[in-house]
Amino acid sequence: MTPEAQSRLRNWLAHATGDASLRIEGVTRLSGGAIQQNLALDVTTRGAPARWVLRTDSDATLAVSLSRPQEYATLRAAHAAGVTVPEPLLLCEDTTVLGRPFFVMARVDGIAAGHRVVKDSALGGGREELARALGRELARIHAIRPPRADLAFLGDPPEDAARAAIAAMRARLDAAGTPRPVLEWGLRALERRAPPPAAPVLVHNDYRTGNIMLDAHGVTAVLDWEFAAWGDGHADLGWFCAKCWRFGNVAQEAGGIGPRGAFYSGYEAASGAPVDRDRAAWWEIMAHIRWAVIAADQAVRHMSGQERSLELALTGHIVPELEWDILAMAERL
Amino acid sequence: MLERPDGADLLATAREVVLSDLLPALPAEKAFHARMVAAAIALALRERGTGTADVEAALQDISPDLATLATAIRAGTHDPGTPTHEAVAAFLREYARLRARVSAPKALA
Repeated sequence: MTPEAQSRLRNWLAHATGDASLRIEGVTRLSGGAIQQNLALDVTTRGAPARWVLRTDSDATLAVSLSRPQEYATLRAAHAAGVTVPEPLLLCEDTTVLGRPFFVMARVDGIAAGHRVVKDSALGGGREELARALGRELARIHAIRPPRADLAFLGDPPEDAARAAIAAMRARLDAAGTPRPVLEWGLRALERRAPPPAAPVLVHNDYRTGNIMLDAHGVTAVLDWEFAAWGDGHADLGWFCAKCWRFGNVAQEAGGIGPRGAFYSGYEAASGAPVDRDRAAWWEIMAHIRWAVIAADQAVRHMSGQERSLELALTGHIVPELEWDILAMAERL
Repeated sequence: MLERPDGADLLATAREVVLSDLLPALPAEKAFHARMVAAAIALALRERGTGTADVEAALQDISPDLATLATAIRAGTHDPGTPTHEAVAAFLREYARLRARVSAPKALA
């Protein structure tokens, strides 16, 4: 951040917090996604140090994800519903400050990186206990239900989330233009066995190991809300348990972290409703297809020259493995 | 006709340099990049050694090309109970196996 931008940021923060003496002590880049940028922001306000995160768009924005103001509203709704999220503090929609909207939230400690989380069996009081806590956490998200004036930007819930997901995946395959007969095979199998519509809830849509910050006591923050939408809560259950999100620790079916049974029982205890096993299995196949579609699109970003990147290029090579698993799962559906 | 060692030998040797000499000397935040370079070289080497002729011939038995096949699957032409279902399922397994052997051989273990 340039000194000029930092000075504009300080002035805006001072105004927004009503503390004219607010000082920025440090700004450092945190590991962010390809779409968003997270900056660690250390300030002194009202004579005390505060540790914040500033979240804004990076250069590559994704049309399918929520804008920063929308993500901020979603985070506020989640915070109010008792979901463990970093407390949302300030939203700036004035683009003269940093060139794009941003929001500020509390900085939370913990580890999220998938390959580390799945190796650490002491996190959150042990694998069973942590899996249960992750189930409870998800149930709190799903307690947020439409209609909600503060989340009006999410639009009307889909009448049939399962069929809407199939249509969305086919549209993305068509837009990408590469024939993917195995993904079509999986989608057609899902279409034949699509579950009937369920009451819509807020679906996080990226609730998985890697996006959830953890420490020795449990969940410290559910992150990355930019794909949240109304839908079938089983989509999140399937995404979390999908083999492709177990970071190699496949025996622990709940995100490589713990047993599926513990995850489901935590969810059921907090939601008061049973997990429909067949419905979750359906969405687990959809999770593999969705990740394959996203991974293929990431490789296209590299190949098209839009963003040359070895990481994006290698992500495309995840597709065949996903397809191998999709064929086996479609067989058992 | 061309000078040896050939490209495959050079890539394999370069990969060893990345993993044995460079990786231990790199700071943690760059180790990820070195591992990606090694993975990319290994993948390119597997691709060099992989023939696609058999699977392409198998495709010809069920469809003129992948795009036609994808469209037919979506339309339900090869659903369970149709005469072509088993043949298409068998082809898709071979097609996925071939590609996974290059992209993610551990997945097939």
